[in-house]
Amino acid sequence: MLRFILRRLLIIIPMALLVVTLTWGLIRLAPGNFYSGEKKLPAAVEAAIRKKYGLDEPWYKQYGMMMANVVRGDFGDSLKYPGQSVNEIIRRHLPYSATIGILAYFLALFVGMLAGTYAALKQNSVFDFGPMALAMLGLSIPNFVIAPVLVILFAFWLYVFPPARWGGASSLVLPVVTLAAVYAAYIARLTRAGMLEVLRSDFVRTARAKGLDDRTVLFRHAFRGGILPVVSFTGPALAALLAGTVVVEKVFALPGLGDIFIKAVLNRDEPLVLGIVAFLSILIMVFNLIVDVSYGFLDPRIRYE
Amino acid sequence: MLKSGSNRATVLLTVWLLTLIGSGCVATGSNGFFGRTQPPARNVLRYVSGPEPETLDPQLSDGQPEARIQMALFEGLVEYGPKDQQPIPALAKRWDISPNMDEFLFHLRDNAKWSDGTLITAQDFVYSLRRGFAPETISRTAGLGYFVKYSEAYKSGLAFVKKDGKFLLANDADAVDPRRSQRVGPETEFNTFIRSPERLTVEGDEAKRAKQLAADPKLAEAVNGAEFVPVTAEDIGVEAIDDRTLRITLRQSAPFFLGLFAHQFFRLVPKHVVEKYGKNWTRPENIVTNGPFKVKEYRPYDALILEKDPNYWDSANVALDGIEFFPVEELSTMMNLYKSGDIDAMQNHAIPTSWIDEIKQYKDEYLNFPEMSTAYYAFNVTKPPFNDIRLRRAFQAGLDREALSSFRKVTQPLYDMSPTGVFPEYDKARQKVSEAKRNEKNASEAEWSRYGKFDLELAHKLLAEAGYPVTKTAAGYECPNFPTEKVSILFNTGANNRSIAEFVQSQWKQNLGITIPLKTMEFKTFLVQFKSLDYDGIAQLLWSGDYMDPYSFLNLEYGKTNEGGSGFYDPKFDKMMDDANLELDPQKRYETLALAEFYLMEQVPVVPLTVNSTSWIKKPYIKGMYPNPGTLIPWKFVYIERDRAKWDREVVNIMTTPDPKVEKQLSELTSEQKATR
Repeated sequence: MLRFILRRLLIIIPMALLVVTLTWGLIRLAPGNFYSGEKKLPAAVEAAIRKKYGLDEPWYKQYGMMMANVVRGDFGDSLKYPGQSVNEIIRRHLPYSATIGILAYFLALFVGMLAGTYAALKQNSVFDFGPMALAMLGLSIPNFVIAPVLVILFAFWLYVFPPARWGGASSLVLPVVTLAAVYAAYIARLTRAGMLEVLRSDFVRTARAKGLDDRTVLFRHAFRGGILPVVSFTGPALAALLAGTVVVEKVFALPGLGDIFIKAVLNRDEPLVLGIVAFLSILIMVFNLIVDVSYGFLDPRIRYE
Repeated sequence: MLKSGSNRATVLLTVWLLTLIGSGCVATGSNGFFGRTQPPARNVLRYVSGPEPETLDPQLSDGQPEARIQMALFEGLVEYGPKDQQPIPALAKRWDISPNMDEFLFHLRDNAKWSDGTLITAQDFVYSLRRGFAPETISRTAGLGYFVKYSEAYKSGLAFVKKDGKFLLANDADAVDPRRSQRVGPETEFNTFIRSPERLTVEGDEAKRAKQLAADPKLAEAVNGAEFVPVTAEDIGVEAIDDRTLRITLRQSAPFFLGLFAHQFFRLVPKHVVEKYGKNWTRPENIVTNGPFKVKEYRPYDALILEKDPNYWDSANVALDGIEFFPVEELSTMMNLYKSGDIDAMQNHAIPTSWIDEIKQYKDEYLNFPEMSTAYYAFNVTKPPFNDIRLRRAFQAGLDREALSSFRKVTQPLYDMSPTGVFPEYDKARQKVSEAKRNEKNASEAEWSRYGKFDLELAHKLLAEAGYPVTKTAAGYECPNFPTEKVSILFNTGANNRSIAEFVQSQWKQNLGITIPLKTMEFKTFLVQFKSLDYDGIAQLLWSGDYMDPYSFLNLEYGKTNEGGSGFYDPKFDKMMDDANLELDPQKRYETLALAEFYLMEQVPVVPLTVNSTSWIKKPYIKGMYPNPGTLIPWKFVYIERDRAKWDREVVNIMTTPDPKVEKQLSELTSEQKATR
């Protein structure tokens, strides 16, 4: 088990470097650069910029310099926002995204698993169709539609939550609900499918035959197996949620990492893009590892050698 | 059964939700105002400033969102006037200008201080300008200041040429120009040097110089055996005569330059802090400012919170206790914040197109005034087919720009290079020139009113002359010969660009029978193609002026490597522009400029499309805030009116309705300068 985890952790490093390299290449292939703008730069200023950022060196030298910095964990300063380091920007804005993301994650897990389990238990009843129809709706309505609808309801009609911006618990409600909706819907459907399968399996029938009551059968025996599909889904989902979700951050004007990442790409802010990409890729790989490890605990058929 | 049932429910719910969204847009506000309208409890303005500011350093930023923030934090010699954006006294209490408008003498206030209490002297200005023009300072706007003598040479690392103990001159004729001798202020050693005929400069770097001289044998011969003296910070045309007197010398007459001193590039930076903290000087814990407000708290991407600075020389006249700047880019989010009463005002053109009809009804809040910003379609004149002027004229005449503006709802049609309705005196000069041209061409008034505008007959005639005859069919017009595969309309993925392009496309299809394909791309990618003239036919050009003068627009087509994006270059036009800037009388200068503009428009490097407008909204209790041509707000005039009876009403008259408080403040501020005239 320990060897398995160590091996996977070791793979993360070269994988992250590979991702950084590919990203670097892609940014370099994109036309334009961080200092190009509507108004022409004086030639002397452009030359000064190129010199300062080593853009007049051959590409392999620039790549080498970039890699040397990345390996040290130092991505340098943002190009668009001079005087702010990439590490500082990530450190400063991750908490915003993470707060919203974790809250949405737990909300989605709670609502989704509850609804999914209930629907599976009461299959083909109104308690099944109702939540599943809602889940279908949650999946098919994009969050840039859900968000304004929530704003109209709760900010303009009821005046209970602010329509945008960070500030206090009440400002978190609308973005968290918006963000959680699609995940909750997905989790509900996954839980229902997983539970239905498990409830029909032999070991549950055996448990029932032993005369165990419904609650014990459900929580002791069925649940662990039933949520397996949810686990494999929520690992990467949590990583994505933590790192920020562009649409929700934009619509609610939240200072999260997702929006900053998109702007960094549009601005050709190379160090910032590389920093966030490296951070994200490591995050996703770590969460995938956690998912794989947790399989071992949830499913007795899986063993890590 | 189950499936179709849930499908129907989905459809019903979706319809219900869409109805909600629709009804939300037309929900009316309280008491005829848009949304919740109540002055905030604190005496603090809450303002959405657009994108996150790149930096608080006034010399390094170039955007308008940054300019607005820096106007609260930093002051320069002059400030933009609240209504007309013309310069009013700031750190300079008054000034004198040399007769030929190439030298400015500023008399500074005795009581101006930095936010840390340090006194501001003329030396601070010398430092700031030298810093801005230093080769290592990455200032995107430094080019605006190149009129300051030798500043461009210093920035570009050039060197003077000394031969036989004497400096070579750039231009022999310069030496005898009699107007050059008229200085303003006392005679000093530096002034004698800076006013002496312009010296020749060549590349300072040896390798670059070798290349330059190899390309120019005449120059190489002239500088052969000479000594090269690098241009230094001490050589640029800025001089502190004493602690309270500053003199700035330009390389040529530039009447509009006084207004430029309010630009963020010319605002003051604190030497003692910049030198101590380097690039970290703008961090909230280090920053020292000199404007009406200072930084209290900075949470990037969330809020920049400013408070009134008691050390500011005019703090008695600063009405607000503070300003909160919120960076928000999403237009509908801004509108939501405004509607819920979480903000009091926002940046210009923040109203999404789909909201305009609704917002227009709020006559006490919606401000739509002409802006110093324009839109054009540039022709690539370096490539066929639009290297043919007849085609450029035909396409111009085939586009009904009145229709375009009524489609756009918030803009005015534009037929010139520089905007109409923004420079009142220049508009008069332009009118005069147009009248003279009409007489010259013996055109009737009716003919003249169509000149350069929508004229289908002319468009068809010109197309036929160029070899692309237009035929009339049952369905409209057809122009089968025109090589539509060789052209496209190129624009970037910005807000309204596509709808403009589609409108223009349909106009040309309808009027000329030519369907030009559309081509859109992300902004930075677009810029590369646009600037390198690597586009086919037509590309969109948006421009906003940097200073209150038509020159800021005409300059787009001036010189060999200009920013107009057409690849247009015409020495005759350049000569006319130069002549205008040598003109000392402002009105005459405007007429000369208008002549140049008339000539330029006859060459049709671009089809002017629209003069943009502020399309802006503010709460009626916010007073002293005006839609000037750049929506550049001098914050010390802004105040919150708690008496409902005095709120702004019918803001279409806001520019002509005097506000006693603002008028008084303005007249006190300008009295000393007015007395010296």
